[in-house]
Amino acid sequence: MADVREGHAVGGDIEEPLDLVRLSLDERLYVKMRNDRELTGRLHGFDQHLNMIMSEVEETVTTLELDEETFEEIYRTTQRTIPMIFIRGDGVILISPSPLRQGHK
Amino acid sequence: MPLFYSFFKSLVGKEVIVELKNDLSIHGTLHSVDQYLNIKLTDISIPDPDKYPHMLSVKNCFIRGSVIRYVQLPAEEVDTGLLQDATRKELAQGKQQPAASAGSAAPAVTTT
Amino acid sequence: MALSSIEPYVNRSVSIITGDGRVIVGTLKGFDQTVNIILSNSHERVYSSSSGVEQVQLGLYIIRGDNIAVIGELDEELDSEINLNDIRAEPLNPVVH
Repeated sequence: MADVREGHAVGGDIEEPLDLVRLSLDERLYVKMRNDRELTGRLHGFDQHLNMIMSEVEETVTTLELDEETFEEIYRTTQRTIPMIFIRGDGVILISPSPLRQGHK
Repeated sequence: MPLFYSFFKSLVGKEVIVELKNDLSIHGTLHSVDQYLNIKLTDISIPDPDKYPHMLSVKNCFIRGSVIRYVQLPAEEVDTGLLQDATRKELAQGKQQPAASAGSAAPAVTTT
Repeated sequence: MALSSIEPYVNRSVSIITGDGRVIVGTLKGFDQTVNIILSNSHERVYSSSSGVEQVQLGLYIIRGDNIAVIGELDEELDSEINLNDIRAEPLNPVVH
């Protein structure tokens, strides 16, 4: 099983979604949050609620603004980095170890 | 004891920034935490007091866990290796039997 | 526990931030494990970017825990030094889960 990739994993087989999250421990991953927030960072801990601890986090917040004259919809992104963060699981929509997202700014 | 409950207990006395789901950020010293991850801070300050003067005369506060979005932590105080091991342990324990202690030894939770 | 956490605020002046972004100040008279609280002599502080803080008397209030974001212990000495008429600020955002 994919479990072999992580030599020091305990608990054995891949049976449920959280087993896949376990494989991302100490790896960088992408997290999509509610309210148009996206994070990438290194995962160090999580629980069954998907509460998480991540380090070297880059957060991108996307806001939609309406140009008052042209009524054009403008997507604006703001970014910040946070060295170490606890993320409450109830705001998490999805997480992905995919490197495709990592360059996403 | 649940992983993040014991994790936050280990950070008592350290400075954190709690970011709420109403966009307010509160900087302060972590005073205590409970099993719902409600958090008490002492000696608080608001990073953007011009925008948020609403808590100017508050120095200590209780924050309901459910309204927390993030907690920014002092990176040097987090033992990431230990946390990763505790995470794997809690996951494995959760599969075998519900309830078993993870992390450091702790007194039993009592309810009145 | 949540109980022991709020206990020291009983009979003290507290400032509550509610889920819909209001600020209510009063004396904390009681609470339970779900953080339902009782406030006596309470008033709301209504913030506005165009005028000073307006205070609206409310009296005895019971606030359901689900609608409470923050319970702040009000430092009355600090509070008396603040001139609420001089403060201009947007109301707080509601909590978005």
